Amino acid sequence: MSEGLLTVLKFCFLALLFLFLVRVVRVVALELRAAPLTPVDAATPAKQRSPKRKGSAQRGVRVVEPAQLAGQTYAVDGEITVGRATGCGIVLSADSYASQIHARVFRRDDDLYVEDLGSTNGTFVNGTRISTPVRVRRGDRVQFGQTIVEPTK
Amino acid sequence: MTPLASRRRSTELGLGIIAVILVIGGYVLVGLAENADLPPDLIAILVGLVGLFFLAHLAVRRFAPRADATLLPLIVVLNGIGFIVIARLDRDLARVQSVWAAVGVAAFIGTLVLVRRVRVLERYRYTFLLVGIGFLLLPLLPGIGFSLNGARLWAKLGPITFQPGEAAKVLLVVFFAAYLVEKRELLSSGTLRVGRLRLPDPKHLGPLLLIWGFSLVVLVFETDLGSSLLFFAVFVGMLYVATQRFSYVAVGFGMFALGALLAYQLFNHVQERVANWQDPWPAVGEGNSQLVEALFGFGTGGFAGRGLGLGNPDRIPVVETDFIFAAIGEELGLLGTAAVLIGFLLLVGTGFRIAVQAQRPFSKLFATGLTTIIGMQTFVILGGVTRLIPLTGITLPFVSYGGSSLVANFVIVALLLRISDETAASAEEELEQQIRQRSSVGMGAS
Repeated sequence: MSEGLLTVLKFCFLALLFLFLVRVVRVVALELRAAPLTPVDAATPAKQRSPKRKGSAQRGVRVVEPAQLAGQTYAVDGEITVGRATGCGIVLSADSYASQIHARVFRRDDDLYVEDLGSTNGTFVNGTRISTPVRVRRGDRVQFGQTIVEPTK
Repeated sequence: MTPLASRRRSTELGLGIIAVILVIGGYVLVGLAENADLPPDLIAILVGLVGLFFLAHLAVRRFAPRADATLLPLIVVLNGIGFIVIARLDRDLARVQSVWAAVGVAAFIGTLVLVRRVRVLERYRYTFLLVGIGFLLLPLLPGIGFSLNGARLWAKLGPITFQPGEAAKVLLVVFFAAYLVEKRELLSSGTLRVGRLRLPDPKHLGPLLLIWGFSLVVLVFETDLGSSLLFFAVFVGMLYVATQRFSYVAVGFGMFALGALLAYQLFNHVQERVANWQDPWPAVGEGNSQLVEALFGFGTGGFAGRGLGLGNPDRIPVVETDFIFAAIGEELGLLGTAAVLIGFLLLVGTGFRIAVQAQRPFSKLFATGLTTIIGMQTFVILGGVTRLIPLTGITLPFVSYGGSSLVANFVIVALLLRISDETAASAEEELEQQIRQRSSVGMGAS
């Protein structure tokens, strides 16, 4: 095996090693940016989680803005929470206009609804600030902070 | 699975796949450099590595689904790089090391299965203390313990030889954490004034003195400078985190200096280590060329190294354990050693992040202690090998050859993942409650 080829392969190995480290750093950065939701009282008794229904995952929302997240889709199977807290279904860690727990999107009888959860800057459907759960359809623009999503169906 | 859990697990899987490709790539590279051919046991290594990673990943998925995503891939890379270098030095050792890695993964899974809540460990603190001390003293028992390379660290039970001290570190950290949670109020109120320092009541200082004496005893009878330094540093670090009082660190440093001075006066081998650190050249004539060869290794490696399998790291005595970093330096250069250091920084950083985010005091202190073990050990051996501090023989976590240390480190990471999972679970619960409170309509689908 020629020495030149081995040198090239060595640099490939080192490059992959650093690529791996960069990816780990990015994961850590995302974790740090997403504001962790800290329990006020850690001694609360364990509560049973509501069982999530499987199947019929075709309904969901797709991100329109910001550009770097555009096209990401989230299936809404039951409900999904939106906010900057790490535990949310859609984590808007980079959106400083979004609240920790901003809103939720849920399904009821095969329709999608959006409900604001007391966010600071509000949730907008087609430019109108909502105060009660609002039904959304394909083509509607739903805005949390500076993030805009639309239903996929 | 909750959104957080599925997100973290898919991140872990993605990073893990890159890690596996990286390790296999490095292993192929060694084969190409040495025999201009693929290594003969490539398939076996590939199957073994992929199998072990997926077993560990599935165990986390099943038993700690919300745990941090970066720890497992990081240890795959660190352990993998260690394995590549060991395989390059000695195929037989590599075979033994791969068996130990399998045992380590089994211990990792076992820990996740058995320790469902860290609380359980807190309850058995004194049991852990007794077992820990027992393990620590095991090498001193005639018939069971024996010395190797000048340090009496080994125990032989039936066909298995191991270093009980590796298990003792973890057991004693459980005890320290539980003890400090109980006593931290008393320990953090200073009553005794010495100049500008406010010290706690001497009777609460007792444990610090005790552990100091204890680590000196280990040093005297097992001639193990590394472990005694590690025990003392971990305890002082945990004491500082528990009480948030810097005076303990100051006193700790003072006591360490005193202990070091005492050890220097009393023991020949400590004097040799210090002299060797100040000037490694005279020792070459006496047949101890380790440090000099290691420095030559780093120097020859230069920026990008001579290439895996192309250097002469076998010139360094005991290169596969204490001096493995010098072999990495020679064959992968500054880039490779920097990558390993960054890997350790990320590992230790993640450990401390888990500690900061943990809610319960015991979890916090326990995570701090476990992370300090890995961090201190890395610092002590890398500092020694690069001649930043006098050399003390101790393994580089996950990278060095050595079964006991590898298994213990796998258990440490499993415990960190358990703590991380618990923290995320309670955060999720809180989140769900807040959503319930804020929502005006009932939850979920119909």
